[in-house]
Amino acid sequence: MKKTKTYHKHKLVAFALFMFAMAGCTDLVNDEQDSVVRPPVEGSSFAPGNPTEMLASAYKDLGAYNDQGNMWAMQENTTAECIPPTRSVDWGDNGVWRAYDTHNWTFTHPQLIATWNQLNRRAYKCNEIIASNPSARQAAQAKFLRAFNMYQVMDFFGKVPFREVTQGPKELPRVMTRSEAFDFIVKDLEEAIPDLVSLPPAPQNGEASKEAAYFLLARLYLNKAVYKSTAPEGPYNFEKADMDKVIGYVNSLKTSGYGLDPNYYNAFSANPGPEVIWASTEGVPSNLWNCTLHYNMNPSGWNGFATLSEFYDKFENSDIRKGIAPKKDGSTFSGVGYGFLIGQQYTEKGEPITDTRTQKLLAFTRDVPLTGAATDKGIRVIKYHPATAHKFVFMRYGQAAVMKAEALLRSGNAGEALKEVNALRAIRKASPLASLTNDIMFDETSRESYWEGIARTNEVRFSKFATGTGVVNKDPKRAVFPIPSAALVSNTNLTQNDGY
Amino acid sequence: MKKFCLKNNCRNDDYNLRLHRLFRSAILFYMALLNVSFVCFAQNVSVSGKVTDSKSVGIPGVTIAQKTGTVGTTSDAEGNYQLSVPGNAVLTFSAIGYVSQDVEVGNKSVIDITLTEDIKALEEVVVVGYGTVKKKDATGAVSALGSKDFNKGVVTSPEQLMQGRVAGVQISQSNGEPGGGITVRIRGTSSVMGGNNPLFVVDGVPLSGDNTSAGADQQGIGRQPAKNPLNFLNPDDIASMDILKDASATAIYGSRGANGVVLITTKKGKGKGVLDYGYSLGVSSITKKYDLLNAAEYVAAGGQDMGSNTDWQKELFRTALTHQHNLSYGGGDQNSNYRFSLGYMDQNGIIEKSNIKRYSIGFSGGKKFLNNKLSIGSNLNFSNNIDNGIPISETSGFEGDLMGNILKANPTRSIRNADGTFTQFANTEPNPIAMLEYSKDFTNSLRAVGNINAELEIVKGLKFKTVLGLDQSMSTRKQATSRDLNVRGVFNLGRAYVRDIETNNRLWENYFTYDKEFGSVTLNALAGYSYQSFEIASKNVTATNFQTSDLDLMINNLASANTGAKGSIIQNSSSVKDELQSYFGRVNVSIRDKYLFTGTLRVDGSSKFGGNNKYGYFPSGAFRWKVAEENFIPKDVFTDLSLRLGYGLTGNQAIPHNVYDSRDRYSDWSINDVGTTITGGGYNPVSFNNPDLKWESTSAVNIGLDFGILKGRLSGSLDLYQKNTRDLLFQVFAAQPAPTDFLYTNLNTNIQNRGIELSLNAAIIEKKSFTWETMFNIAYNSNIVKDLQGAYNTGGINGQGLTGAFAQSLAAGQPLFAYYLRKFEGFDEEGNSIYPNGDVQEFVGKGPLPKVTGGLTNNFRYGNFDMSLFFNGVFGNYIYSNTANAFFTKGSFLNGRNVTKDVVTNGEGALNTPEVSTRFLEKGDFVRLQNLSIGYRVPTSSNKLFSSIRLYITGQNLLTFTKYSGQDPEVNTNKSLNGIPSFGIDYTSYPRARTWTIGANISFN
Repeated sequence: MKKTKTYHKHKLVAFALFMFAMAGCTDLVNDEQDSVVRPPVEGSSFAPGNPTEMLASAYKDLGAYNDQGNMWAMQENTTAECIPPTRSVDWGDNGVWRAYDTHNWTFTHPQLIATWNQLNRRAYKCNEIIASNPSARQAAQAKFLRAFNMYQVMDFFGKVPFREVTQGPKELPRVMTRSEAFDFIVKDLEEAIPDLVSLPPAPQNGEASKEAAYFLLARLYLNKAVYKSTAPEGPYNFEKADMDKVIGYVNSLKTSGYGLDPNYYNAFSANPGPEVIWASTEGVPSNLWNCTLHYNMNPSGWNGFATLSEFYDKFENSDIRKGIAPKKDGSTFSGVGYGFLIGQQYTEKGEPITDTRTQKLLAFTRDVPLTGAATDKGIRVIKYHPATAHKFVFMRYGQAAVMKAEALLRSGNAGEALKEVNALRAIRKASPLASLTNDIMFDETSRESYWEGIARTNEVRFSKFATGTGVVNKDPKRAVFPIPSAALVSNTNLTQNDGY
Repeated sequence: MKKFCLKNNCRNDDYNLRLHRLFRSAILFYMALLNVSFVCFAQNVSVSGKVTDSKSVGIPGVTIAQKTGTVGTTSDAEGNYQLSVPGNAVLTFSAIGYVSQDVEVGNKSVIDITLTEDIKALEEVVVVGYGTVKKKDATGAVSALGSKDFNKGVVTSPEQLMQGRVAGVQISQSNGEPGGGITVRIRGTSSVMGGNNPLFVVDGVPLSGDNTSAGADQQGIGRQPAKNPLNFLNPDDIASMDILKDASATAIYGSRGANGVVLITTKKGKGKGVLDYGYSLGVSSITKKYDLLNAAEYVAAGGQDMGSNTDWQKELFRTALTHQHNLSYGGGDQNSNYRFSLGYMDQNGIIEKSNIKRYSIGFSGGKKFLNNKLSIGSNLNFSNNIDNGIPISETSGFEGDLMGNILKANPTRSIRNADGTFTQFANTEPNPIAMLEYSKDFTNSLRAVGNINAELEIVKGLKFKTVLGLDQSMSTRKQATSRDLNVRGVFNLGRAYVRDIETNNRLWENYFTYDKEFGSVTLNALAGYSYQSFEIASKNVTATNFQTSDLDLMINNLASANTGAKGSIIQNSSSVKDELQSYFGRVNVSIRDKYLFTGTLRVDGSSKFGGNNKYGYFPSGAFRWKVAEENFIPKDVFTDLSLRLGYGLTGNQAIPHNVYDSRDRYSDWSINDVGTTITGGGYNPVSFNNPDLKWESTSAVNIGLDFGILKGRLSGSLDLYQKNTRDLLFQVFAAQPAPTDFLYTNLNTNIQNRGIELSLNAAIIEKKSFTWETMFNIAYNSNIVKDLQGAYNTGGINGQGLTGAFAQSLAAGQPLFAYYLRKFEGFDEEGNSIYPNGDVQEFVGKGPLPKVTGGLTNNFRYGNFDMSLFFNGVFGNYIYSNTANAFFTKGSFLNGRNVTKDVVTNGEGALNTPEVSTRFLEKGDFVRLQNLSIGYRVPTSSNKLFSSIRLYITGQNLLTFTKYSGQDPEVNTNKSLNGIPSFGIDYTSYPRARTWTIGANISFN
């Protein structure tokens, strides 16, 4: 009797312990404390976010243009304006720079995937802002920023992928052709303009404005023949209607108060001036001087990129764009000149600089080989000066002025075009030109906008990209970059560009 | 390798015997307590002596009792005892694992006795997770190491105790830094992102594997790793380590078992209260300096003469002392045990200023109640680690880190100028001594790991156990570099960083065990539930533009940094919690003690996975056939002959917190490299909504053979295995446009590891005065990636002109981390590199994973002397020397930097660009005399104060045979790219030392 009772008691204890032991105590759902989970909307797989925060973040992303690699290098190292020499143990960097210069890049080039990812990611962020119930002004800015990012994907890679916000991670984005992308981008900008603010010129112009949209539309229409061409390498058919649009948008800028600054380098500083339409609000483009200045200069640079003597020789000596000698007045960074730096370099106090590595006086040479370059080879280039630099400038009126001149030229109005060019040259302290051809127009465009991250687009439009100085692989199909290999793996809707 | 079967561990076989003994000792204890007065009045004689085993080694914890009376005692740690009994008494000496013996006292006052081992009761047991099993009944591939098998000398963390001792377990220290990182690979490398270190379980509490102190990334120095999180555990507190190697054994740990499991058991008190004290002094010095040019050679080779003569290696490397003190007090019998320990270690590194200190406290205790039906126990290990780091990094750039500058500093450069200031003429050439003098890196970490557990026997054979575990840590790492140091972004600014990490892990486990015999069938079953949570929080502060050069002020008075655009900021903070909820069960069935079957299942639910795949199922099955028990096996030949067969599925969930919800947070702020602007802080997506993410799984099959011949004097195991890892958790590029660059996904791939392991133990000489035993292990592993779409680069190479360079790639048909390089074939007439296949990278058919690893131990004992000699070896791997790539080139030399002597004459031209190529790839094979230990046991039988004294001398890393030109071939600098780890790359690694240690272990009466 007693035994049975004990047995039951044990059974009870065992059962109670079993319940106690096996009761799950969690549903394994996270209670996030350091991040915000976006609650999905009923009936949709998209979870809207905070449009104000996301828009602020989309502007911050533009800080990426302060870097000398990726977008900047793809636009500049590939052209006749810039050479990225390997200097013995310096700047070898697994050949990424040399590949740009010789046009021997492959679809595994690490900067291509980095560029592809960041531009597309930013375009998608704008999609999310637009779908997150923004104000009209916010929506317009998001459309502008989406257009800006997609325009660059289109320009660099030809094809442009597009993901709807309702698509999950395993759904593959559709792919627009270059021509479809062009129409999409133009539509975005046109839709955005009514709700964008109008801004007068100022170096602090960070918000996407009506004027920024005018500028971007001018550039898009100027290059429309390239983007609409069946083959990226041409031939290009420039239509008068498009050129008239370019002229119209540039004229709108003038109406908003924009113009040319007699002090060319003002546009790259914090000083007020009539040129800056749209600039980054994030960081300082310090890498654009780090990449070219020598170690023993102040500021100490990385002794890298240079320009070629062929390009240097395209400038008249009086041309302010060729450079201003350093002040050497003892103030910080006053040993560094503006424009092209050539010959002996000096400290802030005017003493000649010695290269601590070679123990020779530091004098930048005209000649510069791509490989095996000594530390003093090549003419250096300063647009953003360390003493005065402010923010990276995406759009300024000087570039708009040459766009208008080119549009006039291409629409058969060479006389008006020459007038525009000579008006610009007068302000830049260069002598007037007697006539204007495509080649001369190209040279003027390069002189005005060198090292500003637009050279490749200009060379392609003038069909000079495959024949520039330093190009080894003269395949004209290199007018677009390849779709990066990792992007092809990630999305089977993508196909490789012709010629790769 | 042997652990003797204690009360808790044995399941069935000697149950009655044990119960009987327990009962008797309980009575004894009771009597002793209550009847002290009686004893005092009796006519007693004092008897003392020593109880030893057949090898003359003292046996602790022997019960010595008057056969018919009430008096009793137990022997101490050295087997000594003393008690008073009536002169006509008969004493019974009994101990688990030994045949009891009766002795008449008569008129003897000293009774020394040798107990013979009870073969039936003496069993090696191994800890297998939620229980133990007799070694000879183990169905899976498990290896057990007891403290006598551990590596000796200066041992900073537990992994080092077992380095080289177990077949198929490859343990490599990343470099020679005290307390630096250690990789443990059990049966190859099977995962990529998911982490490859095994699960460590300390006294039943699984550790999370997360870092418990912060890594770093300093301006001008580069990325620095966190200290090894296992440094908290004092190796002197560890009693045994059991390594579960195959899936049939690790499946009980389910999702965390794919890389093997290491079960650490800390020491328990036994015998009468014993006070042990150990002290050791270690003396370390560099094994091999780099063969650099001296000042005269440098000038003769055409180097820039700065007029002085400095041997930078001599200036920075030192002979370093390590002090260790360990004090413990503990005792115990079958009913209760307790042990307290205190540890202190002060280890200096062989580079000036580097140091690690550990203060540790350990407690373990246990007691039985309710007629032994309820037992309650607790273990706690608490430690405070203080690290003084130096500016050596994994990713230093053109200016080099401390080690880089020791190597490249011009030997004709003076340390100081005439005015006493450091020579600092360019930010590309920092002065290494100034780097050390002007920087501080201080990490203070507290960690407590412990548990409290209770086991209740409900009915005979059915037990319930509950375990509450905790693992909590707090760490702060403070770094400062003074504005006086001429390094880019530091000079005239100063930089400081404060990085805090707190972790808080909780465990609650409940499980039943049931033991039952049905005739010739024995059943042992386990069923349980486990909940574990992992919280980790971090905070990073960075500051620049300091008003002071005082390093202490910079760290401890952050307001010495200006505020605003060039000042101090909170970089970021974070706090996340992950949970793991599991159900598990295991059934062991033994039929006629010949056929043993094990089946396990663990169901793990993890908050790391989205809605659709939170739970993973991890089953295993194993079988052991004790062939030796069959009639057709001649018993006089084989003492053991068994076949094992096992299959299991295990998983891996070592991915970051919640990568499946759409989440946003503010990104880190950062100050740019010249200290002029602050950027970042954007509100950005952390992850995609990714509900289909699931467990990575590894299926493994194991076939094993255990044998013992020559009366057990030669025994060994042979194992064959194959592991296939599928649904690899991997960070891939998202199909753009997407919220993030990367996306975690399960890659459709198959990473295969196949291998053979052999271990042999031989008792070559077993004389009473002289013994010689040999233990040998060797393992072969082959690794290959099958079915992988695309290629994933890793092995980032750093240095001047090497931005964006990499040396390894993951691709189908290659082993993990295969080298992907330019093929180099010397220099042309101008001294430029010849790449016959073009200036392109390709797979070169070589990899960093060793094919063969092995260890050989020889233990000798002669009288009171003992000696142990241990070699280990690694074969078939290649090392990429990022150090040589970055520093030992002609271009570097002509830039005014020092190089190794071979560079002068190797034919390289002045303007050659040393791209990543096979030029810097070298064989990594080595054989090392890792450990030599000689001990002497001082005779103490007549000493009242000491029960034992052992003096010893140990040498570590005494000899290395290798062709690798770097400082040491056991090296692995973390060169991960995009979160993909690398392996086998050497970059400015902290050099390795040779260490001689002298010490004494003393037990007090």
